Amino acid sequence: MIAIRDLSVTYRTAARSVPAVRGVSLEVPRGKVTAVVGESGGGKSTLVYGILRLLPPGTEMSGSIDYDGMELTRASEERMREFRWKKAALVTQGAMNSLTPVLTVGYQVAEVLRVRLGMPGGEARERALELLAMTNLPPGYAGKYPHELSGGEKQRAVISMAVACSPEFLIADEPTSALDVITQAEVIATLVRMVREKGMGLLLVTHDLPLALSISDEMAVMHEGRLVEKGTPERITAFPSHAHTRTLLSAFGVTARSGQ
Amino acid sequence: MRSYWTKRVLGAAAVLLLVIAANFFLFRIMPGDVVSTIVDPRFSPEAKERMREVFGLDLPLGRQFAVYVRRMLTFDFGISFLSQRPVWDELKSRVPNTVALLGSALVLSSALGTWLGVKAARKRGGFTEKVVLLSGSVSFSFPSFFVQLVLLLLLAYTFPLFPLRGSVSIPLPQTGTARALDYLWHLLLPAGSLVLLGFGSWAIYVRNLMVKTLGEDFILMARAKGLPEGRVLWNHAFRSALPPVLTLFLLALPGIVSGAVLTETVFSLHGVGKYLLDSIMGHDYPAAGAAFYILGLLTIASNLAADAAYALADPRIRVGGRVQS
Amino acid sequence: MRKPPRWSFMAFLLILAVAAAGPPMLPGDPGRTMAKPFAPPAWSGGDAPPPFSGAITPASREITIDWKWDAPENLTLKGQLAFDEDSPVRLVWTTAEGGSFTLASFRGGSLWEVDLDARDMAFKTGLGIPPFASATSLLFPGRGVQTLSLEGPAPSGGSLDLALPGGRWGLLGTDQRGRDVLSLFIVGVRVSLLVGISATLLASLLGLSIGLTSGYLGGAADALIMRAVDVLLSIPVLPILMVFVGIWGKGLWQLVMILGLFSWMGTARTVRSLALSLRESCYVENLRSLGAGPWYILYRHLLPEAMPVVLAAVSLGVPGAILAEAGLSFLGLSDPRVISWGRMLHEAHGFGAFTAGAWWLIIPPGLGISLICLVFLDMGRAIEEMADPRLKGGGGR
Repeated sequence: MIAIRDLSVTYRTAARSVPAVRGVSLEVPRGKVTAVVGESGGGKSTLVYGILRLLPPGTEMSGSIDYDGMELTRASEERMREFRWKKAALVTQGAMNSLTPVLTVGYQVAEVLRVRLGMPGGEARERALELLAMTNLPPGYAGKYPHELSGGEKQRAVISMAVACSPEFLIADEPTSALDVITQAEVIATLVRMVREKGMGLLLVTHDLPLALSISDEMAVMHEGRLVEKGTPERITAFPSHAHTRTLLSAFGVTARSGQ
Repeated sequence: MRSYWTKRVLGAAAVLLLVIAANFFLFRIMPGDVVSTIVDPRFSPEAKERMREVFGLDLPLGRQFAVYVRRMLTFDFGISFLSQRPVWDELKSRVPNTVALLGSALVLSSALGTWLGVKAARKRGGFTEKVVLLSGSVSFSFPSFFVQLVLLLLLAYTFPLFPLRGSVSIPLPQTGTARALDYLWHLLLPAGSLVLLGFGSWAIYVRNLMVKTLGEDFILMARAKGLPEGRVLWNHAFRSALPPVLTLFLLALPGIVSGAVLTETVFSLHGVGKYLLDSIMGHDYPAAGAAFYILGLLTIASNLAADAAYALADPRIRVGGRVQS
Repeated sequence: MRKPPRWSFMAFLLILAVAAAGPPMLPGDPGRTMAKPFAPPAWSGGDAPPPFSGAITPASREITIDWKWDAPENLTLKGQLAFDEDSPVRLVWTTAEGGSFTLASFRGGSLWEVDLDARDMAFKTGLGIPPFASATSLLFPGRGVQTLSLEGPAPSGGSLDLALPGGRWGLLGTDQRGRDVLSLFIVGVRVSLLVGISATLLASLLGLSIGLTSGYLGGAADALIMRAVDVLLSIPVLPILMVFVGIWGKGLWQLVMILGLFSWMGTARTVRSLALSLRESCYVENLRSLGAGPWYILYRHLLPEAMPVVLAAVSLGVPGAILAEAGLSFLGLSDPRVISWGRMLHEAHGFGAFTAGAWWLIIPPGLGISLICLVFLDMGRAIEEMADPRLKGGGGR
């Protein structure tokens, strides 16, 4: 379990400081889907990169992030590197720019296996093919460069890479934005299937409220850096407690289904 | 891929033709008799008349140009006014010296500039970045020959570590190894000074590219994968920034060739640039035209080499395929 | 809110002032021999004598020279004296060891013109020494007080000037011809400024018109012009300039023309992309729909938009032109009668400044070129910064 307690993140520039996350507490258990919903610029991505400690230098973090007794906000860079990908892997807005453009997809999957798991080259390449196949990418895709893949294919490749080290958690930051609706459904299906098969915990960060409502076990609404609402999708749809949640629900036309 | 190459080779051929045409017309728009630009003015009228025939100067301009292009392509540059020897015989021994100077300066300054640029991009505001920015502005505003004169004054006159002039010692050392060392000893200061003047702008360019690349999503992704920092920096960031870095070769090359002409003059090297200057000073037009043509040829060849490297480094050109926006 | 002016603007004004007022204020003709060749600067110390000068006038008929060094390179005596009385006069040199020489004599009664140079054959013959011997080592046999005096009746007017070139000279020493390097340096700034600014103005004018035309016309004309720009940018410029200068001659204005003709490409490219973006922008569309003709749009709207860019390009282009001029002059491809910083470096390199270790011939012109380039670069950046918000507002990218 990743337990976030009273986390605040402030970006500091020479001129001013911008608080992005303010006093957020959230628990991400294994084997479940936890969703964080909010509008762009509301601090969701900051939360994600805060957990992996990949925020720009000079950013201030207070509060605590506890992973099985390890305090992530104060862990050494060495231990953080160990934590990343083996314990918690990231799925970003893959349709955009998450794959290194000059390396083949197969190389990038195999690289993680070689470098992080110490797998020998040949074995890593074979395993990479298996991983790609798991997300329905045929073996021919291993030799392709990112620019030869469609948005959905890229995102599936990123998911294969994310599960390469069998992490305990997947953290998905807007995994479906910039994809068309059909591809979105495919990618989400792949993601959920992987999580359920391997019993991983999924932290899904999205602005897509209907998506969060439909797949999450537990969800939170984030607004201006604060978590204003936490609960099951059913509870939140039926009894939204915060004005912002009601606004969101009505914006997506979900109020009509509140009786479900 | 194929269309890329067709385009590059055709482009190079066009530039080559332009250089030849420039050569052909430049030396014909000069005041006075056309013959005097091709044939030694000291020749007798009869000899001039014979030369007129030999060089086809009585032919129409179009035919003349065709003859000229063929002569240029076969390195038949005529006879030097100054030495009365075939120009190509004189140039032949100089080309390797110029190539050695250009090549070593380009390779070393790009290697040093790249390394420092990557370092500077990694640690913003650090010592390396300050050095890079300073050396960049030095190379933009200090005349190369001035820096070289100062180096010469310091390292060849005040502290005589290097020779004051020349490509080799006179008399030549006896053994092969000694000759090679002697050649390197003479090359070190000229090439070194070009590196000193050139690496700064390289480093700045590479730094800017790397700063941009390090802000890309895939770098964040590579870090999220827990890859060691060196691997993130070189295997992902630098490898991705490599194609635009290679275009810098194209941008820097004309400047370096110009710099080589000045360098050869400062250090009195036995090279093509110095030959060009001497020929122009001595109104030796066949020789000047040939030296100019050789310098153009060297530039075009290096341009093509850089294009080839670019194609190898960028899979979008090498592989093609459907490009997603 | 007013910010203090950038250092480069102040420096630019200073350079302009030096270029405008400097040469007339110089202590004499920069072409004149002031001291022995390669004399180091006066302040650099060493055992060389400083230059000496004195005069014989009606009031002072004797010059005493307290000489503590080896014999000087030369001795000159120039001027005229008027005599009313009709009796002979003589110029007598007395050495520290008591020897005495008559340098010149005159019968008196009228104007006496004197022009003596210790290197002249006649001077040496007059002293009774062979032509290849040194007259000054005869006149300065040892260290001590030597005197030059006028014997005979007192002159009624005029003066005779005695000059001994020193082994050290002025603030920046002398060059291979004994000329004052400081004077040359100050005169040289004019050429750098003149060539740099006028060549860049010419290039910017060309670049502006080509860029505007290309960007405004678009299509095949645009493609052709931009391809030409690419080709010109991929050819090394210096060899072309060398060939052109070799053919057209080394005059200053030829140089300006040639430099202008080969440095418009950068400006053209910038202006073209600006024109292209403005062409697509809404307000040009609006003007067009209001019935404005292409020339009207070009000159009343696109040109003013492009101006700050061009101004910055001028300032950023000047260093290139200055460096090119300096490079060509350094190679010896400039008018030998025009003193410029590049020419000074050429002469330093070609006439043995190295064997003399004469750093004062290399450092000042070189630093001068670098400094003037830095000034223009910084000014260009400042103008760019000022122009930037407008560009962002104006371009519909």
